[in-house]
Amino acid sequence: MAKIQHVCQVVSNEKFCPKFYRLCFAAEPIRRKVRPGQFVHIRAGEGLEPFLRRPFSVSRLPAGGHGAKKHVEILYEAVGPGTRILASKKKGDVLDVLGPLGTPFRMPPQGIKQVVMIAGGIGAAPFFMLSDALKGKGYNLILLYGGRSRGHVFNMREFKRQGCKVYTATDDGSVGVRGRVSVLFDKIKTAPAATFLYACGPRPMIASVQVFARRHNIGGQVSCEETMACGLGACLGCSVLTASGYKTVCCDGPVFDIDEVEIPLP
Amino acid sequence: MNLTVKIGKAEFANPVTVASGTFGCAQRYYNLDEIKGLGAITLKTVTLHARQGNPPPRIVETPSGMVNAIGIENPGADGFIEQKLPSLREIGVPLIISILGHTDKEFEILTEKFNALEGIHALELNLSCPNLGKKTLVAQDPKSTSRVVKLVKKASRLPVIAKLSPNVTDISVIARAAQDAGADAVSLVNTFAALVIDVKRKRPVLGNSSGGLSGPAIRPIAVYMVDRAAQAVSIPIIAMGGIMTAEDALQFILAGASMVAVGTANFINPRAPLEILAGIKKYMKENKLHDIQEIVGSVRA
Repeated sequence: MAKIQHVCQVVSNEKFCPKFYRLCFAAEPIRRKVRPGQFVHIRAGEGLEPFLRRPFSVSRLPAGGHGAKKHVEILYEAVGPGTRILASKKKGDVLDVLGPLGTPFRMPPQGIKQVVMIAGGIGAAPFFMLSDALKGKGYNLILLYGGRSRGHVFNMREFKRQGCKVYTATDDGSVGVRGRVSVLFDKIKTAPAATFLYACGPRPMIASVQVFARRHNIGGQVSCEETMACGLGACLGCSVLTASGYKTVCCDGPVFDIDEVEIPLP
Repeated sequence: MNLTVKIGKAEFANPVTVASGTFGCAQRYYNLDEIKGLGAITLKTVTLHARQGNPPPRIVETPSGMVNAIGIENPGADGFIEQKLPSLREIGVPLIISILGHTDKEFEILTEKFNALEGIHALELNLSCPNLGKKTLVAQDPKSTSRVVKLVKKASRLPVIAKLSPNVTDISVIARAAQDAGADAVSLVNTFAALVIDVKRKRPVLGNSSGGLSGPAIRPIAVYMVDRAAQAVSIPIIAMGGIMTAEDALQFILAGASMVAVGTANFINPRAPLEILAGIKKYMKENKLHDIQEIVGSVRA
């Protein structure tokens, strides 16, 4: 019934770093349509627990190899009942996937020279695809990555291969600079008018990016998260407050302009 | 095989609809030819004036279900009629409009607004939303239920369905009040008032504090209530409450429902309503039934 519902086979499901997994599944119709920043909504189990689907940013469309032209990848951390079931999936297992859903990142406006991606933990997921779309276009690409600890830091070679300069911070200082990703904001040096930000990560991080962007008058976009049920704009459960009232993360987002959305902090 | 259901003077090709507030953006994501196969679509509740809804978080997952407190976010009657209704009408499936007035006067104005429009098959009165901060719901009091149903019936050219709350001592009393006031059908159950607490923060999880529980967690209670209501009224019952499969739907039909509404299941499986319809047909074939009416309420036969 839904044009966007697909039954997909798992191609691989491996540890990407001690805390993160990278799951690849075959979904040619999703791969054909998806743009950076959009997400897929996955039913992790077949029974009633967990009850709801789980949303994941599409992380990467892997290149080359046998059948790879169908492949779609997500990145996740096995922290809850849904993601723990996902971590147990093997090659050949079947997944019920809705997608691609939501709004993609828009490309940087004219005159932008420097693009800064700011990621907190698993929030780095959509930036693999985004940096792939931005490479070779003359932008000075930067990734600021903040992770909790060594276990949350992955090999940055895919970003570096796309010409990205990568800076890392960890809460405990075990890799890179000690502190939140905001301690890396001083790496953003170019004139604000020529800089564009993309941010994805926990709410306090998004809020700190908003403060920084406002202070320096830098434009950009943020990818938001909220507990989600349908993913299709039906239940209005994942609404966030924006300058123009409540909007759904699943349909109107997850990507919003940086100053459009008001981040609720605990 | 005859699956048609009559509610007042409205006729629906089959007994499967979707519950109010669970089926949006149909045009964007669904195969419209398939949607036409449903008996009806029941739309998200419309109020006279636009409502922005409750602060997030608005939903929380629970065992075999979820608690929601959306707060009837909607563009108001005029906004709905201008922005949403035209494309919904184009689908070519019967539409049931859910309305909620904060006063009797608002119910009257809403009824008149929809009276004037083409392509609407019935009005469902939301007498039972638990998320509006009201102390008592209309559907918690037989007198209020009777008063609202009467005034809408008087004004409406469309069949009128009263949507009832499960948060009552005896559902049959309320169902009877709706019938006696002239309702063409009752629909039950709305969500169960519920609360989930974040123990770490020592605060309710939802922005609205409490919400309404839906999903398979409530199903056996909902089946019980439909059974109780069916013993009290002779008007058709539209049943909802955690229907995920055809077997779930058939439980409600056997208990006395003429029509079933698939709600929360839409969030997990957008194909659920059509799979349920196909499953009901298969059951009828296997049991050599020619008319769905043969089994409505037959658990007591």
